[in-house]
Amino acid sequence: MLHSLLATREFRLAADPLVEVRVLALGLACCAVEVDAAVVAGILVPADGEPDREPVREPVREPGGGFRVLVVAGTVTTPLVPAVEAALGQRPLVDAVLAFGACASTGGPYWDAPTVINGVDRIVAVQQYVPGCPPCPEALRDALLSLAGR
Amino acid sequence: MTSREPRGVIQLIPDACTVCMICVQECPSWCIAIDSHHEEVSEEGARRPRTVSVLDRFTIDFGLCMYCGICVDVCPFDALEWQPQHDYPAATRSGLEHDTDRLASHGSS
Amino acid sequence: MTEVREVPLTEWLRALDQARAAGFAMLDLITAVDRIGVVEVVAVLTNPDTAQRCRLTTRVPADQLAVPSASSVLDGASWHERETAEMFGIIFTGHPDPRPLILREAPASGVPPLRKASALTERVAREWPGTPSGDDLRRARRPQLPPGVRDEWMSEREPA
Repeated sequence: MLHSLLATREFRLAADPLVEVRVLALGLACCAVEVDAAVVAGILVPADGEPDREPVREPVREPGGGFRVLVVAGTVTTPLVPAVEAALGQRPLVDAVLAFGACASTGGPYWDAPTVINGVDRIVAVQQYVPGCPPCPEALRDALLSLAGR
Repeated sequence: MTSREPRGVIQLIPDACTVCMICVQECPSWCIAIDSHHEEVSEEGARRPRTVSVLDRFTIDFGLCMYCGICVDVCPFDALEWQPQHDYPAATRSGLEHDTDRLASHGSS
Repeated sequence: MTEVREVPLTEWLRALDQARAAGFAMLDLITAVDRIGVVEVVAVLTNPDTAQRCRLTTRVPADQLAVPSASSVLDGASWHERETAEMFGIIFTGHPDPRPLILREAPASGVPPLRKASALTERVAREWPGTPSGDDLRRARRPQLPPGVRDEWMSEREPA
């Protein structure tokens, strides 16, 4: 049952007209609120709010389809590991994985808890770590642009 | 401390740090580490040389930091300060550990 | 404003029922606090009309951790009590469904995780950066422990 609860949500980075960055957000804990704050701030635009745009669910990347980043936001707890793995397995191809916030990066303030995985990089290779507890929405924008080489 | 201070990053002012270790010991996340050594300083007119702690290395692991600000609050010498910069993602886990020079550079940009 | 009241264990259910009848109809939470030797059971209720809160506590000796279940008095108490039971080792007598709620398996140490005797093994295994060393160690009057770490945990640590 838990496996079906976790799903990635899709966004587009609105920050830069010269680079197209697609964001798949996997929200696990409170840092996910900050991803939503990025939407409210206009930094991320929900992909499903743009029906005329190409959906990003296709398993095969098309050339020029933009830079695709999986953003993992929140604490990875041991009971959640199978669900996280399932969600990661179902995701479309991405160019990079971004650990958003202290918990996704290292376990954060819960590094001492027996039920917390100390960083999502124990499950999937991470290309960008964004510190913060939580990071601000602007830190997400800057990290995405940095990943996309802007 | 005001509630409106921007908690972007913590700056170290190395010259103000006396290696009292209070920040390290109060940090709930254990994300601060300090290396130091002792030196004897002879002062004119003083009967005996004085032993002082000298800071060798100050690191904050921002991967573990929960930005609670306790270290900034407890520092008796105002050697730690909040700065608004938030743009320091890292490509590696260890890239989130900022050493003395990097910590000192926050706030100068 | 939160009204705070400690009641004897024998009055626990009656006090909760009276609070509910007085308008505190919404149960926010039931949890507990390990006071070492005594475990304090805490219930927080809210009056949905006034947004006022009421916190009721009762103290139970750590060697007789049995508390009557509030699920007959307050809808919604069941899950809170199941979590409090597994986290603190409290038996809620008369509970309609006393299965564990969150923990998949009992802790290896046998100590419920939120009791003070339950060591945070990661904090025991990892060297605390605040450990005095060199000259400071000789000057330190007594070994310092990190905040949140108890003496009894460290005594079980393998000597370095």
